[in-house]
Amino acid sequence: MEIIQKEENGIVLIAINGRLDADTSPEAEKVVKDALKDQTTRILFNLASLEYLSSAGLRVLLGAAKEMRRRDGKIVLCALNAFVKEIFEVSGFQSLIPIADSVESGIELLS
Amino acid sequence: MEKIGTDTESILLVDDNPTNLQVLFQTLDGVGCKLLIAKNGEMALSIAGKARPDLILLDIMMPGIDGYEVCRQLKSVPATADIPVIFLSALGDTGDKVKGLQLGAVDYITKPFQPDEVIARVNTHLTIHRLKREVESRKDQLEHELKVVSEVQQKLLPKQLPAIDGFKLAVHYETSRYAGGDYYDIIALPDNHWGILIADAEGHSAPAAVLMAMTCALFRAYPDADTDPAKMLRYLNEHLCKVAEPSFMTALYAVYDANQKTMRMARAGQPLPMIYRFLEKHAIEFPCPGVHPLGIEPYGGEIPVTETKLEAGDRFLVYTDGVSERFNTEGDIYGEKRLLRLLATDSADNPQDVLAAIMADIERFAGQRPADDDQALLLGTAA
Repeated sequence: MEIIQKEENGIVLIAINGRLDADTSPEAEKVVKDALKDQTTRILFNLASLEYLSSAGLRVLLGAAKEMRRRDGKIVLCALNAFVKEIFEVSGFQSLIPIADSVESGIELLS
Repeated sequence: MEKIGTDTESILLVDDNPTNLQVLFQTLDGVGCKLLIAKNGEMALSIAGKARPDLILLDIMMPGIDGYEVCRQLKSVPATADIPVIFLSALGDTGDKVKGLQLGAVDYITKPFQPDEVIARVNTHLTIHRLKREVESRKDQLEHELKVVSEVQQKLLPKQLPAIDGFKLAVHYETSRYAGGDYYDIIALPDNHWGILIADAEGHSAPAAVLMAMTCALFRAYPDADTDPAKMLRYLNEHLCKVAEPSFMTALYAVYDANQKTMRMARAGQPLPMIYRFLEKHAIEFPCPGVHPLGIEPYGGEIPVTETKLEAGDRFLVYTDGVSERFNTEGDIYGEKRLLRLLATDSADNPQDVLAAIMADIERFAGQRPADDDQALLLGTAA
């Protein structure tokens, strides 16, 4: 798993590539926690290269979403592939975290 | 002289030359370890096997079996294989050193040696060996803990499945080496109704087992003998929200009316149930709109309830994601399609045999790769 982050116009963009599962989620959790240090209130997760998402991965995303809620901020997941999207929807998380088709539409949702 | 060893650690010195042995003894005396001596290879092997020293300083050129052979034999026996060996020899060619290291020695010091150097290297390897033992002991401790957690999990499960008129049940439950918190249970409700719960705590080990235990207790202590599946999920969620963070619990609760042969279900993040229709000889993932998992936040709106009628020969399967998300050595996932195909098997009729066929196929698919997560399947066949 590889995580790439950058900041653009007040939005923290985090790309998660590879697998987000029980093995990789502790590391992902750390990175997300760090990324949120500066009182960010806008996060966009770019999941275009995410191959697999387990419940441990959902937990990491949920953690970020809860933190954003605490800060009155916003979070969006974008560019999920069909497989990951299905996992996300079956697990009922679509009612908890908004998803967008692309980075562009994701940024729009965050404004 | 700096004391570097502990009194309980011992070093075995092996050399056929008494002068060399004496010099070594004097060099290392005061370092703080017990010092053992062997004058030849045979003695060295015998002492090593009995005393299990923490380090062996081994000469190579000896009558009888040489140091290389001693090392080979030490490494071939489980009792002595992990003892670090340092060769101490006049043979100083790179070839000699490489041979020694390839035989499994951790270091190679050429004679004549510098006392300070020997002490420093002995210290390094004693430290490494100490840390290695610590890591192994912690690993054993953790594995034991996980085993205990798995046993607790198993204890919470129902002792046997109820006999339901016209609905034959079977279950397969397997904890993984990482104790995953899967749970299933069945309660009797009024008027020949039965409540079937399958649930999966996110995470592993003790935290997941705790969530599982809470869910089990809540389920069995449910105050109303109510047949509304939505109410049950709302009740479980209300209580789990207080304790689950940052984790959560997926679940599916289905109430079976054995008179009407109807199944009404409410789903919170659990994989979709699968139904094999006997007349069509076809298995599908049954569309069951759901809510988010238990333990995250209260359910704002309605919890959807989906209903279906089971005809004779139909099979109703609920399962946890450890089943469909089983991986093989290539990294391929077992997936829902394969599971549906096996659910529709005509090689078996009663639910116990159908589950056996499913598990056999999953194990065949997974090959050498063990399960990372618990696997639970609960199957009912309508008569």
